[in-house]
Amino acid sequence: MTGLGDLLDEIVVDIDAILLFSQDTSAYERFSEADPRTIVVAKQNAVDAEEFVSLPLDFTDVNGRIRFGLEGALNQGLVEEGDELVCLTQSFDDAEIDTIVRVRAGEFTPTGGYDLFANSRADADVVRDVLEVAIDLGKKGQKGKPVGALFVVGDAGKVMNKSRPLSYNPFEKSHVHVGDPIVNVMLKEFSRLDGAFVISDGGKIVSAYRYLEPAAEGVDIPKGLGARHMAGGAITRDTNAIAIVLSESDGMVRAFKAGEIVLELDPEEY
Amino acid sequence: MPTRWPEMIRSAVSEETALTVAIVALVVGLLFAYLAWRGTHRFLRQIGVTDTVEGTSFERTAQRFGTSTAGILALLVALFVYAVVALFALNLIQVFEADLFWSRVTNFLPRLFVALLALIAGLLVGEKAQLLFQERLQSIKLPEISIVPLLVKYSIYYIAVLIALAQLGVATDALLILLAAYAFGLIFLAGLAFRDLLTTAAAGIYILLNEPYSIGDEVRINDTRGIVQEVDMFVTYVETNGEEYIIPNREVLRSGVVRIRNQ
Repeated sequence: MTGLGDLLDEIVVDIDAILLFSQDTSAYERFSEADPRTIVVAKQNAVDAEEFVSLPLDFTDVNGRIRFGLEGALNQGLVEEGDELVCLTQSFDDAEIDTIVRVRAGEFTPTGGYDLFANSRADADVVRDVLEVAIDLGKKGQKGKPVGALFVVGDAGKVMNKSRPLSYNPFEKSHVHVGDPIVNVMLKEFSRLDGAFVISDGGKIVSAYRYLEPAAEGVDIPKGLGARHMAGGAITRDTNAIAIVLSESDGMVRAFKAGEIVLELDPEEY
Repeated sequence: MPTRWPEMIRSAVSEETALTVAIVALVVGLLFAYLAWRGTHRFLRQIGVTDTVEGTSFERTAQRFGTSTAGILALLVALFVYAVVALFALNLIQVFEADLFWSRVTNFLPRLFVALLALIAGLLVGEKAQLLFQERLQSIKLPEISIVPLLVKYSIYYIAVLIALAQLGVATDALLILLAAYAFGLIFLAGLAFRDLLTTAAAGIYILLNEPYSIGDEVRINDTRGIVQEVDMFVTYVETNGEEYIIPNREVLRSGVVRIRNQ
């Protein structure tokens, strides 16, 4: 047993902070000490922790979750590059902490996933809701068939001026917001329409059926992705919007910001 | 008039029979009271009162005494039923001659009953309303906001006490005036404080319903020219060259909008 104990000691020795991926009060109280500091990474700050990173999605994949939390902590200035951190998280059980991971902040190149939520024009809640809709759509498809979809979120005024309607707008004079319970069904139904969904900063669905007309020069997206991704990437270069694209061919959800892919998720993992 | 019946019965039959009828009435009354107790229990459970009051302080206090809210209410109903029957029986055999006293008691009994009901209902509704407001205001991270649910609770308590006292015939004029002053103050102050918001919201409802301009249109409002980014109930966001103007809808309606169609 000493070998095991030594290994554990080695993992937790000389760390600068703990990243606690749980909003459980008892877990927080167990670890909340002045040294090393505990940074809570969870959906909500249920324990009123002073240092908190919001985790907008339920990452089932530990790697992605830790990367996201780390990026958030770096972004908020809670940790500095080179800090040694221990992450307490869940790999298999959703409730119990069963995994200890030691990482150095700044070890990964940031993907910009956290930046997508924190520093986009649209509210973080809106970005999360749209991502959830896209993931949901990717999981179930439209009546069992895989579908593609393109959501342009934020800076809607400018996006509307850089696009034209393909047909009448089904969301004309409606006031539905992403996150409303009925919207998931509506978006699923409308996803068989061609074109993009335009969503405003506050989450209002402005239009469906939009043909985007951005200048596509200089947009560099991986080869093999189609016109939908190209259009999504290009519009985010031309405006301050972000684009969330569900690929019809490989079923992945990708988020674009400033013309680059910042987040790539597999809907099957959520 | 229930006070008339005993006299009618008494005049119709002999004194012994009257005594028998009185005893029978007492026994039957017991049965009625029990049925009323059972019925109230079932009724309260069916309309969901039993579940709704779960966890309120009144319920907890009741449970400390080994009963529940539904139990207390059912007991009250049963007692009321039995008291009516007992009064009837006592009147029948004329234990007391003082008719005036009994007529006053029979008048007072229902009032006492209603007063007690009003008190219990007030206690329950007050606490439930407090909880409801607390839940609603939970997302507002402002410590001072916690006074609102308390205010709601005590207002409801106050009204319940007022109803109960009025039922019992206690002079409540002064309390009533206090309530009126409080309500007036609340409405007046709220009207004063929210005047701008109300006019803005009214304008906002028109704009949202009719959409004279929508997101993406280029407009000019009061010398502010730009692209509409967002419209909500209170304000319109107009953006030009990285500057976002937040214009209250009141202004939009008052000064009118210029929609620029051809650039």
